[in-house]
Amino acid sequence: MNNTKRAKELEEIILKHSSPAGRILSILEEIQEREGYLSKESLKYISKRLNIPLADLYSLVTFYSFFNLERGGKHTITVCMGTACYVKGAPKIIEELERRLGIKEGETTSDGIFTIKSARCFGACSMAPVVRINERIYGYVFPESLPSLLKLYGWKEK
Amino acid sequence: MVKIKINDQNLYAREGENILKLALKEGIDIPHLCYHEIFEEPYGACRLCIVEVIKDDERFITTSCTLQAQNGLEILTQSPEVVKHRKILLELYLAQAPNAENIKKLAEKYGIEKSRFPKRAFVTDHLNGKCILCGLCIRVCGEVMKAGVINYIGRGPSTKINTPFFEENPDCLGCLACVNICPTEAVSAEEVENRKILKSWSETKVKMKECKNCGSLFTTYPLWEKTKSLLMEMDTELEELCPNCKRELLIKKLTKNLPLPKPY
Ligand code: SF4
Ligand code: SF4
Ligand code: FES
Repeated sequence: MNNTKRAKELEEIILKHSSPAGRILSILEEIQEREGYLSKESLKYISKRLNIPLADLYSLVTFYSFFNLERGGKHTITVCMGTACYVKGAPKIIEELERRLGIKEGETTSDGIFTIKSARCFGACSMAPVVRINERIYGYVFPESLPSLLKLYGWKEK
Repeated sequence: MVKIKINDQNLYAREGENILKLALKEGIDIPHLCYHEIFEEPYGACRLCIVEVIKDDERFITTSCTLQAQNGLEILTQSPEVVKHRKILLELYLAQAPNAENIKKLAEKYGIEKSRFPKRAFVTDHLNGKCILCGLCIRVCGEVMKAGVINYIGRGPSTKINTPFFEENPDCLGCLACVNICPTEAVSAEEVENRKILKSWSETKVKMKECKNCGSLFTTYPLWEKTKSLLMEMDTELEELCPNCKRELLIKKLTKNLPLPKPY
């Protein structure tokens, strides 16, 4: 994104959230929604514009696991590691995903398609183990069912 | 004035007076790491300053740096209960900051030789295995110096203190307030040629200002600039002050109008 375009977008977002309560979080949330992550440039812009030290913003966004500081792949696969999913074999799912996609948790495939992440509980424990791909939740996922699931998102078995 | 009792000592205090500060002034030793009187609000982070409060039939443990003097307040600073909790705290601190000399000394004083907890930091980390995450450096940099160079990063067991993105931070004034306030001497900085290098803060470098006449490096560039603009603003205010009062007023203005810390 070039700088003038970024500035225009960010100004629009800042203007929208004018109430002081929870303002920063709402602004950051919307930037992430639009850009997919929080770029260093955007954080620097917000820091200058709202007169909040960059160190404070960085502290905030590294506190909440919700925020991404790196651009993710086109599809983000999030494996639930909450208690129920963990017991039902979530670590095995991560292992299998890492093997199939050739990346580690937190990384993105070199073609920029998939990112693997983990999270704590989506509130869907009854369907454990649970995997979320982008905004969709899939229940009862097992290592063996991963290939067919990934194929829905354009993955091809090598 | 209100009457309070610390251990066997009856004392008078101003209502609302900070108990830790008062005790220290009276020569009563209460270990503490995160309290510094430059801040109006105590933080209550390190928990080492705990004391036992006796109130009617009730007894409870609380931090003395957040406790205020009230008529009839009675506290114990070394009761078995206090010592028990403080020992566990020290064991945890030995794991968190195994290289901090004053923590080692304190632990020794309480008869602790080894921590049962796994070590959390190492000599090789950017804070030399000495940081207890008390936050004093962050507060002095942000609240007093108004620089906001560093902050907590992440959370839980992987919490760190550093500059954003672990990169050199151009906002640093090189004032070394963070180095001086750190209770465990964790923050390291050095002067190399004409620059201050904040080694702990992602090697942030700050240029020094040299005297036009003799060439000695007498302050950092950002501090000099800040003082210069203040001096211009305060031109008439300073005219009739002696060098001492000039200095005091300048520091006051430089550090957010807070009074200078006075020795106990
Ligand atoms: S030396 Fe830099 S980081 Fe330390 S308190 Fe001063 S401005 Fe902040
Ligand atoms: S570096 Fe020192 S002052 Fe800063 S949090 Fe760690 S122990 Fe406290
Ligand atoms: S000095 Fe009171 S909690 Fe740290």
